[in-house]
Amino acid sequence: MNNEKKHNQNKKRSFLGLLLIKLFAGKEKLSLLEEEQMQSPLRTVVKNFLSNKLAMGGLLTFIIIFAVVIIGPFFNPLDLSFSETSQQNIGPGYDLMKYPKELEGKLKEISVGSTFSVGIDEEGKVHVWGKPKYSKTIDMTKIPSGMGKVVKIAAGYDHVIAINDMGKVFGWGSNRLQQSRIPDELISKDNIIDVVAGYQSSVVVTSDGYTYFFGNDSINDYSHNHEHQGQIAKVAVSSDAVLGLTLDNEVVYLGKQKGSYTKIPENMGKVVDLSATAATIAALNDKGQVYIWGNISEKGEDSIPKTDSKIVELNAGRFHYTAKTEDGKIYSWGDNHYGQSAVPKSLKDKNVKALYSGFYQNYAITEDNNIVTWGLKGYLLGSDDLGRDIFNRLLNGGKMSMTIGAIAVIISTIVGVIIGSISGFFGGKVDIILQRIVEIISSLPFLPFAMILSALIGNNMTSNQRIMLIMVILGLLQWPGLSRLIRAQVLAEREKEFVTAARAIGVKQMSIVFKHVLPNVISIIIVSATLDFATCMLIEATLSYLGFGVQAPQPTWGNMLFGSKNSTVIQNYWWRWVFASIILGICVICINLTGDGLRDAIDPKSQER
Amino acid sequence: MTKYILKRIMYMVFVFFIMSFIMFFLYNLIPGDPARMEVESIKLKVEPEEYQRRYEEARKRMGLDDPMIVRYGKWISGILKGDLGKSQIYKEDVSKLIVTPMKQTIFINIFAISIALLITIPLGILCAVKKNSHFDNSVQVLTIVGYSIPEFIIALLFIFIFAVKLNIFPVSGMNTPNFSGTPIEMFFDRLYYLALPLMVMTIGSLGGMTRYVRAAMIDSLGMDYIRTARAKGLKEKVVIYSHAWRNALLPVITLIIGWFMQVFSGSLVVESIFNINGMGKFYIDSLTNQDYNIALALQMFYMILALVGNLIIDLSYGLVDPRIRVSN
Repeated sequence: MNNEKKHNQNKKRSFLGLLLIKLFAGKEKLSLLEEEQMQSPLRTVVKNFLSNKLAMGGLLTFIIIFAVVIIGPFFNPLDLSFSETSQQNIGPGYDLMKYPKELEGKLKEISVGSTFSVGIDEEGKVHVWGKPKYSKTIDMTKIPSGMGKVVKIAAGYDHVIAINDMGKVFGWGSNRLQQSRIPDELISKDNIIDVVAGYQSSVVVTSDGYTYFFGNDSINDYSHNHEHQGQIAKVAVSSDAVLGLTLDNEVVYLGKQKGSYTKIPENMGKVVDLSATAATIAALNDKGQVYIWGNISEKGEDSIPKTDSKIVELNAGRFHYTAKTEDGKIYSWGDNHYGQSAVPKSLKDKNVKALYSGFYQNYAITEDNNIVTWGLKGYLLGSDDLGRDIFNRLLNGGKMSMTIGAIAVIISTIVGVIIGSISGFFGGKVDIILQRIVEIISSLPFLPFAMILSALIGNNMTSNQRIMLIMVILGLLQWPGLSRLIRAQVLAEREKEFVTAARAIGVKQMSIVFKHVLPNVISIIIVSATLDFATCMLIEATLSYLGFGVQAPQPTWGNMLFGSKNSTVIQNYWWRWVFASIILGICVICINLTGDGLRDAIDPKSQER
Repeated sequence: MTKYILKRIMYMVFVFFIMSFIMFFLYNLIPGDPARMEVESIKLKVEPEEYQRRYEEARKRMGLDDPMIVRYGKWISGILKGDLGKSQIYKEDVSKLIVTPMKQTIFINIFAISIALLITIPLGILCAVKKNSHFDNSVQVLTIVGYSIPEFIIALLFIFIFAVKLNIFPVSGMNTPNFSGTPIEMFFDRLYYLALPLMVMTIGSLGGMTRYVRAAMIDSLGMDYIRTARAKGLKEKVVIYSHAWRNALLPVITLIIGWFMQVFSGSLVVESIFNINGMGKFYIDSLTNQDYNIALALQMFYMILALVGNLIIDLSYGLVDPRIRVSN
């Protein structure tokens, strides 16, 4: 009766429970004799290993990491030449477009900066969200007091400019190039109607049609004495030029140099809106036609889609444009790297009241006062010093680290097995010579030698050749340990009867070594290869960290830490080293746990140690 | 015994020459013309013929047109005489430049090794005595973690915790600038600056050593004489510290000797992170500055150290345990 109950209880266990039990739970204890009677040695090894919770946990974790870094790069490919200055050193989190809830319903205007957005509500209060803290001094949340009611706001690369209802202008954020310090001549003015903040520059427009520029005038082409002073109604700034829209609805260039920006299309008619990405300018005329010129890239800034109705408003991000038609529909074109030009489907049958775009974010306000956002939400694990996504680099770097480790281990295992078994089996002079070679290589100080080899040979190599070189160096310096183990085992095996039998029936020497003796030492090879894999990954990481391994832009887990030697990075940009360290640490620990578990499973005697 | 040592030394010399030849060969693969570099400075001051003449003279003096084996012979005989070559960057003899980093490295390593030994030996013994207890198991896992995590990650972590967050220790440097005081104060000031690197180096070496001591101790605890000692009714303390530990010490001593050979070679990672002006950083700097004369000399130095170290370790086996006969 009691037994039956127990049996039933066992049956009730869920599938997951059973799976976990199979994977982790201890086996039923058998005496040594029972065990021997029931299973082959290999099954004992497998069973021993499966019952070692730590090793199984390590193996499972490793398999998961391995699968992720092998499969992940297919979905998240790496662009080696990618760099984006506006996305440098952004902390982890998906909060770039998380606008404060109190803005809903009473939003007046939003302006998008590189990694933050600013908005004003109907009471003229300024809200900042996203990642507005660049450093201790450059902090967009340090909103100046005493601005009163803010009516217009513009966010730039790393600063914000605002106008209040008295027509006064204020600036804050980075002031390295005076882009947020209001010039003296403007402080007395109270007729400022428009403001644009660009890359290290700000331009304001007064109601009488004058423009004032402040900030870095060496990259931004602007001449204060341009011939259209007094006629400007609106300005647009790319990352290096300033263009204006005159009161007579004409587009004019406000700089001195001639270039692609000055090739303003003719016969545009009555231009009503002007907008600029980082390198192109777009103008919209009263018939709804869009004209685009400037340094058009392959990102597709000029591939204007067909619209059902007339375009009435034009907005620009860093490499994309968004447009609003007269019946409130949104169209977008240009770069879609962060999904910034993919208008969400939920906007299809809604009427959009207002649209704000900038850098990689877009905000649309529907008629029922909902704020819909699309574009770059943020980075799961932050971004690095070149604006690259760390998660993406971890995935691709992991693939590279594992590949290097695996190939190095394969090389070292093959060399180690061949040398060890030949040396052990034949003995005599062959053994003496081979053992001397083993001693030479194992007496070399590993890390310095690998470094000098990589520095001397890899001096003028392409990055792919260098990766190969690292694999070969690691592989060729790693084998002596394994070859010694194999030699010792083969020495023991070769005296056994089956070898004598094989000799007696005339099997060739080489096939005795590799077909008869070697399978008996396979377990040692597996254990050693596992532990060597961990060592290779560690050494590769150390070499790359010191700058003698794989070099940027190709990521590996080691060289992602290369830039994090100084205390600024350690302190302020912790995400640049923490995640790579954690994943590398976990991976190596898991491999070592697996290797240790395998050794214990194969040689239960070692467990007693 | 003498015969064995002689044989080993002969073999060391042989290995040394082979490796030095390989290194010299690799070194010569690097494109570059030292003679051109030497006369480059006077190029604009003298006539082209004069310049060419001086260039050829320099080439001849440096022996650049000789076959490689001759150049190798000159170089290696220089090395053997103690002339390690000249640094291309500092324009000084390598043998002079090497003195400061060497002192620095020896100073740090003696501390790091002593601290590591003071921790690992008691820990290893304790683990062996309490084998398979929770304490032992957790230490075992920790040691795996210890030798799985690369030194530079430990260093980054420690800098973050102790220098950035808690602000206890300085991140880099050797001593307080313009510090004046008694020699003892100077010494403690220096130790204060070395605290972080020392901690990292110690932790980095804990894993392997603890496991080694534990294994040696377990081996010796399983011996018959331990059973005899226990059967005699000796106190457990006496059994462990007098009988077992003395025998477990034998393999450990050889490891310690091996460690002390490392006193001269700096830790590449730790020195480069903490900006300690030791051998390791000297080596890395010479490689990144492409000052290969220094790098080559240091590599030769590392190799001699490793070879001599191996010999001493092998001999020490025989010394600490007379049962092992080296001559076989």
